[in-house]
Amino acid sequence: MQHEPSLFARLARRISLVLGIGAALLVSAAWYYAETAADKAYDRLLVGAALQMAESLSVERGALSARLPTSAFELLGLAERDRIFYRVIDTNGKTVTGYDDLQSPAPSDGARDAVSISEGIYKGEAVRIARATRVLADPSVTGHVYVIVAQTNEARSALTRELTLRATILVVVMSFLAFAGAMLAIRYALQPVERLGAAVRRRDPHDLTPVSVGVPRELDPFVSSINHFMGRLNERVDLLQRFIADAAHQIRTPLTALSAQIDLLGHDKLDKTGRQHFERVQQRTGELARLTNQLLSHAMVIHRADSIQLEPISLVDVARRAYRAAIPITVDPDIVISFEAPDDRPFVLGDAVSLREAIVNVIDNALRHGTDQRLEVRVRSDALDAYVEVEDDGPGIPPEGWEKATQRFATSKSHEGSSGLGFAIAQEVVNAHGGTLGFRARDEKSFTVILTLPLYKGPAK
Amino acid sequence: MMKRFMATLMATILALTSQVLAAADNQTRFPSLQTETGRLTIYSTTDLAAMKPLIDDFQRSAPGISIDYIEYLTNELHALASEACRKDEPLGDLLLSSSVDQLLKLANDGCAASHTSPETLRVADWANWRDEVFGFTYEPAVFVYNTRKVPPAEVPRTHVELADLLRERLDYYRGRVGTYDIRLSGIGYLLAFNDARQTNTVFGRLLESMARASAVARCCTGEILEEVASGRLYIGYNMLGSYAYDAARKHPDLRVVVPRDYTLVLSRGALIPKSAERGDLGAQFLDYLLSERGQAIARSNAFYFSETGGLPPDVDGPQNLKESGIAQPIRIGPGLLAVQDWAQRQRFIEDWSRSLIELNSPEWTRE
Repeated sequence: MQHEPSLFARLARRISLVLGIGAALLVSAAWYYAETAADKAYDRLLVGAALQMAESLSVERGALSARLPTSAFELLGLAERDRIFYRVIDTNGKTVTGYDDLQSPAPSDGARDAVSISEGIYKGEAVRIARATRVLADPSVTGHVYVIVAQTNEARSALTRELTLRATILVVVMSFLAFAGAMLAIRYALQPVERLGAAVRRRDPHDLTPVSVGVPRELDPFVSSINHFMGRLNERVDLLQRFIADAAHQIRTPLTALSAQIDLLGHDKLDKTGRQHFERVQQRTGELARLTNQLLSHAMVIHRADSIQLEPISLVDVARRAYRAAIPITVDPDIVISFEAPDDRPFVLGDAVSLREAIVNVIDNALRHGTDQRLEVRVRSDALDAYVEVEDDGPGIPPEGWEKATQRFATSKSHEGSSGLGFAIAQEVVNAHGGTLGFRARDEKSFTVILTLPLYKGPAK
Repeated sequence: MMKRFMATLMATILALTSQVLAAADNQTRFPSLQTETGRLTIYSTTDLAAMKPLIDDFQRSAPGISIDYIEYLTNELHALASEACRKDEPLGDLLLSSSVDQLLKLANDGCAASHTSPETLRVADWANWRDEVFGFTYEPAVFVYNTRKVPPAEVPRTHVELADLLRERLDYYRGRVGTYDIRLSGIGYLLAFNDARQTNTVFGRLLESMARASAVARCCTGEILEEVASGRLYIGYNMLGSYAYDAARKHPDLRVVVPRDYTLVLSRGALIPKSAERGDLGAQFLDYLLSERGQAIARSNAFYFSETGGLPPDVDGPQNLKESGIAQPIRIGPGLLAVQDWAQRQRFIEDWSRSLIELNSPEWTRE
């Protein structure tokens, strides 16, 4: 499965991208506004100074004279570190006072505005240049006179920087808060997904009932998909089990007839090789019958696990009944068989039929594959659990094969016929009862299969 | 009008040329105390006598540095420095001028190098522009008088009193009052301009009274102080406090009055030229001037007055200039550009000359 990045990481990446772009836009806007504000603020000083200087111009004895007010310079001096250049131009375009080479980039004839402002370069420095125009209508001096005032940009830049810096700090702080908030919100919003995942993970593998975890509306399609899928799966499994049961059932009838026919056939009429074949056919048919029975029993056990209400039962009774059912009348009389049960009759919560089937299968397995001369069935209990132990004196299963032994159609002795479903059925039943199936090998002459079931503590029926 | 100005200009240029030719006379060499590691050239308008204690003390702290100290009048120095700046030629490593408006103009024209150090941070706001022009002294503009000539009852203690005195005792004081010739002295012009900016009309009255009393205009503080001390002049107006006090210490007849209505306070300016060859040494000397040690020497041996302390002994005036609120420091800032505007200057000097000089100017300044 290709591993996609987590939802959280995706959201975090996209949100931080959006926030980053937003912050960059905001900072640019802040810089732009700061520059505009700084320009406006200091342009007023510049214009004010230019107007003051223009106001100070007068015509004395037929000549233009400039009496530049100190206050105009002090006004400009409010931008503390900025250099100031100025020039007063008379009606003939001659410099009255100030810096001869200071030019205003604005055209001098076209514009008739009282004041104009522009950017420029003077003495190698970027300056802001204001030009004030004054119209003189003295009989001796008539025309336009200009006052050009230029100021370097240090104070403007400093103000712009300061304003931008502050706005940037605000934007960054806000972005971080927004990001942190978004992350918390996402984490919170994604919690139901985790919960749903955990709930599905925790489910028993056999549990195919619909998922019933409370989820937000957005996850409903997902959950109903899961449930729909589970429903279909359940139907398929049911169908499969019914098919197996039906098949086994259908097979049993001809199989019984086949067994009877083989018995009728008799082996007296056969020669030695024929008899050998006959016996093998007989044996295989027995195995087939047993397997068919096991399949039926397995289907029954599974069906009951799904449908039967568990109730308190006496484990000793169940075990005793199983013991009787499992030991055939034709058992080898040399084998010592015993059944032990405690006096205090431990109760467990369970289905008597399934449990009996499980114990029968274990005993049957022991008789078939384990027992040499001894078979013991024991029921005992401690504070928490009740145990059914089936011990034989056979070679048993080596520990490395224990896990495999409970799988269907597996056996430790590969040369023999398949043991089939014995342990698998027992394991399934015990698990359905909340218990476990275990093994114990004490020495060469003792192998025990242990069914552990939780003890029922409630009132007996 | 223009002709007269041209004449003045010519005279200035003449004086200037002669100064340049005679530069060697104004140059004093202070050899380094140890092996020379660097040579610092200072162009200054401050009398050598005032600067000598500071230079000596500086060399004690920096024994490897030899110093060339070159003295000019304020206007000459300004002309030289502007010219050097325009041509981008080096002129000294540090300019010291009492005419701070001229230094400010130089800085505004981009002729100054900026310098910051822990010492420059100590400089008051009003005495620092762009970290390029620094005020390193605190010098009130004072009156001086000769005790033998001016009876105690007549000693003027405000500008108004001085104006009234000249009006009432016109005949006695005729030709006996001395002040700067603002055509020649930048510092005189700066002080006069700031006098004229006072809100009341006292300066107009004073100028008129001085004109009537045929006040004498001289190029430099030294000359006036000498004449007052010798008794040829009785009263000197707008003298730099440091020089006046120094002279008063040498001549028992000379007295210093710090006016009680308002007192202009001038801070001598220092500037490191942009094209300085050893700007680092200039900065080092500047730091010394601004330092605790340099200020202490200046207070005791060179300039006597200080912003924080009281007045020196035997000075007639308010106990503490700053606290009494009459001190009007001439702010080192763009406002001085108005002072330096040449149209302004031309007109101001014209007006001033018309009212004061016309009747009694020396032969060579007349048309």
